[in-house]
Parts: sequence; structure tokens; C-alpha cells
Amino acid sequence: MPGTRPRAVNRRPRGAVPYIVPAFILIVLFFIVPVAMLLLRSVLEPAPGLENYAVFFGSTTYLRVFTNTFLVAGIVTLVAVVIGFPVAWLLAIMPRGWSAVFLAVIILSMWTNLLARTYAWMVLLQRTGVINKMLMALGLIDQPLSLVNNMTGVTIGMVYIMLPFIILPLIGILRAIDPSTLRAAALCGANKWQCFSRVLLPLSMPGIAAGALMVFVMSLGYFVTPSLLGGASSMMLAELIAQLVQSLLNWGLGGAAAFVLLVVTLGLYFVQLRFFNPYSKR
Amino acid sequence: MLLDFNRLGALRYVLIGIAVLVLMFLVLPIVFIAALSFGSSQWLIFPPPSWTLQWYVELFADPRWLYSALTSLKIAVIVTILSVGLGFLTSLGLNRGNFAGKELLRALFLTPMILPVIVLAVALYALFLRLGLAGTTVGFVIAHLLIALPFSIISISSALDGFDRSIEDAAILCGASPWEARLRVTVPAISHGLFAAAIFSFLASWDEVVLAIFMSSPTLQTLPVKIWTTLRQDLTPVVAAVSTILMVFTLVLMISPVIFRKVRQK
Repeated sequence: MPGTRPRAVNRRPRGAVPYIVPAFILIVLFFIVPVAMLLLRSVLEPAPGLENYAVFFGSTTYLRVFTNTFLVAGIVTLVAVVIGFPVAWLLAIMPRGWSAVFLAVIILSMWTNLLARTYAWMVLLQRTGVINKMLMALGLIDQPLSLVNNMTGVTIGMVYIMLPFIILPLIGILRAIDPSTLRAAALCGANKWQCFSRVLLPLSMPGIAAGALMVFVMSLGYFVTPSLLGGASSMMLAELIAQLVQSLLNWGLGGAAAFVLLVVTLGLYFVQLRFFNPYSKR
Repeated sequence: MLLDFNRLGALRYVLIGIAVLVLMFLVLPIVFIAALSFGSSQWLIFPPPSWTLQWYVELFADPRWLYSALTSLKIAVIVTILSVGLGFLTSLGLNRGNFAGKELLRALFLTPMILPVIVLAVALYALFLRLGLAGTTVGFVIAHLLIALPFSIISISSALDGFDRSIEDAAILCGASPWEARLRVTVPAISHGLFAAAIFSFLASWDEVVLAIFMSSPTLQTLPVKIWTTLRQDLTPVVAAVSTILMVFTLVLMISPVIFRKVRQK
């Protein structure tokens, strides 16, 4: 019966597909193709074969960058979780008005220009910086410590950048825990420490694991903060890739290093989606 | 008890103590830089011997800072427009379309967000060198758009998911064409999502460093690249002045969605 059905209210399932095409072309041309090209170069340049990967994993210098990257990412994640958890815990249970203020501060710091924040630490941590001066004035040290251009600097700067990324998801996880489970534990005679270690901590573990994995993955590929606050001895993968490509023009080896970083990142991301996604099962 | 703020007992003060310390750790460096930007010491001594606007004067006297800021602004505005437009179309397609591999496609659109930026930067750099796009505005826009688009798709998709489509259908029943209905009914209804997409896209482009370092040329660089190259030479207080201006700018942009919502409610 023509005319009884209004013209466009047919919900053709395929009708909307063409809208995706422009973004799809953009992603294919400028994301998939270049990344694939880079990875191809890692096995084709200078000669076809796995030579670049052999060089990467065979050289102590490159291997040290590799282990360094994991070490720094691991330390940063650990520190961020340990100091982030109490903050998230407090914010989750605080009266709403106060927690909103605290939250606004955290989000504001997160959106403040990355270079501005890294610059702040470059200034604070330098030999004549505030931190060294304060420690000396307090009589804790006689000589200024070298806090920057080494792993200490990278760790402090990275923890600073990563903290919001662990605090914010943890707040959500902690708010979702039913307080009555803790009341039940207390009624059964558990003391505070037992309530914490055997009820609260295990219940928040999936959230901690998910947040920690995210921070770890982000830290692995970080470029700006480690290269400004680090030194030659604390180089991380991202800076190595940039150097290989920009200064040494070694696209084969740069591509190989990028491929290693890519595989580790996507692998860990997949693990997170598969095993630690706090939103998938509940 | 452990999840009841009023019954935490002494633990409450421990938690508050830690939280205050962490918040100070997050905030003080920012405040510190803002304070130093008004200090007279070139060696960034704190507290500064006296206060001055010297670094701001120096900043505005150097046309290269202004030029790179304008470059950043131009690129960010183009990226924002493209990102919101493409994000709207794509979200509409993902929201309304029903086809095999849709979720895979959605994941693909969001991948640039999780991939280490350095990998994307190096890969794009290689491609742009061949295409002659390295060091051009077009190159910058494409690179930044890849990073901004996921933010846009997330914001607009979530707004579309919360929008009751039958309102759009009603408009069509009343005689509007599908696009007329979308632009005059759907777009206003999801304007908060579009606005958020615009802010996120703008900031994603405006703050982008890693891609910009690779896309830039000696004649064309954005503000973050200019800060980056300056920082590699010395820790001049001029950077503190730029940083302070940027922080105020971000603060204004961040508060704007709240104001936007307040204004709309009236």
C-alpha cells in the first residue's frame, strides 16, 4: 500500500553505513597504511629478513633500553597505585561536595599542558632547584642530589603525569563496592585490618589491576616526559625510536623497535580487555 | 565502616592526610610555575628576589612565539571542525547502522587513542616525507585529526545513545526530510555531546606534542613544538610565562562546558 508508510521512517539497517566511509578512508590511508609501511620497512630495510630484530635483541645497548622501559613503567605503575589508592578511597566515600572539589583539582591538573607540567619538574628538580634547596636547608643532605636527567627524574615526572589515570577509574570501582559486605565482615568479628586486607582490597583488585595495566601500557610508550627528564642512561623505547628515525635515519631498526612497542602495547591491551575489564562482567 | 566516611575513625585522618599531600603534589608544580613566571630571576630561583612582568614582555616581543601560537590555533580550529563533522557522521553510522563487524570498526576508530603516539608519529612522518606533506598545514591537520577523532566519536556516540530516536522519526512523519530532521531535531538535542567533542578535539590538537614534533618544519611549528625546542636549549622563564598563559586558557576551556550547560538550562 503506497502512501501509508512515511518515506524515511524505514529503519533500513544499512542506510547509515555510508556515513562511516569518510572516517574509514581517513583511518585506512593515514593510520593503517603508514603503520603497516613502517612495519614492512623493519623486515625489508636494509635487506629483506629479520636482521633488524636480531640487531635489536642482540645489542646490549638496545636491550638495556628495552629493560629500562619496562623497569620505569613498572616502578611508575607501582608508585602510582600505592599513592593513588588511598586518594581514590577517600574520594569515593567523602561527602559529595568535597569530593567534587578534589576531583576538579585532579582533572584540572590532568588537562594542564603536558609540557608545562614537565617543565615544572625540570625546574623543581634541578641542582639549584627548590627540592634540593629544601632538603639542604633541612639538613638532610650536604650536596645537591642529581634528581633530573636520570631515572629518578623520569619516575617522579611520570608518576605525576599518571596519577590521575589511576585515581579516576579507581574511584568508580570503589563506589561500586557494596558497603554492607564490610559491615558483614565486621559483624563476623573482623578487625579493621582484616576488613581491609580480606574484603576491601580483594574486592577492588579487578579495578586496581585494570588501572595499573592501563598506566603501565601508557608509560611504556611515553615520549615527552622521559626524554625531557631523563638522561642517556635512562633512555626509553619511544625516545630510541625517535632517535633511530630522526637522527640516524635508520628506518629499518626504528621500524623494528616500533613494532616491538606496538606488539607489547596491543598485547597488554588485549589482556586488559579480556581479563581485567571491570565493566564487562558485572 | 571502611566505606563509611563518618565511621572510619582515626583512619579518616590518615586518608585525608595522604590525599592532601597527593593533591599538593599535583597542584603545587603548576602554581610554582605560575609564580616563577612573575619572578625576576633568570635562574628560576624560588622565592624570586622580586616580581616582574619582564618574561611576558619578552614573550610578546618575540614574533616567533606569537606566530607559533597562531599556527596552533589555526590547526586546532580546522581539526575541531573536521573532527566534530566526521565524528557526527561516523557516530550516526555506528549508532544507526547494523552490519557485520560494526564493533570491530568502532574499535578501529578508537585505536589511535591506545596506540603509542610515537609509533603513529614515526609512521606518518615516513609517509608524509614521501607525499611531500611533512612540514605543511595539511600534514598537521591530518595527524592531529587522527588523535582528535576518537574523542569526538566517544562524546557524540554517547550523546546519540541517550537520544530517543523516535523524536527524529516524529519530525520526519511531520514532513521533514531525514537530514532536515537530523540537523534541526537531533543536533540540538545532542548539542552537549557535540560541544564536548569540540572541546576535546580542540585540546587534543592544541596540546599535541609528539606528532607535532615530527610534522613540523623550521618554518612551520605549533606552540608545543616551539616550547619543546626552547626547553631543549635552556630553562628560560619565558617558558614559565607561556605555560601560565596556557594553563589559564585550559582552565577557561574546561569551565566552559559547565557554563554552557547552565546557560542552556535557563
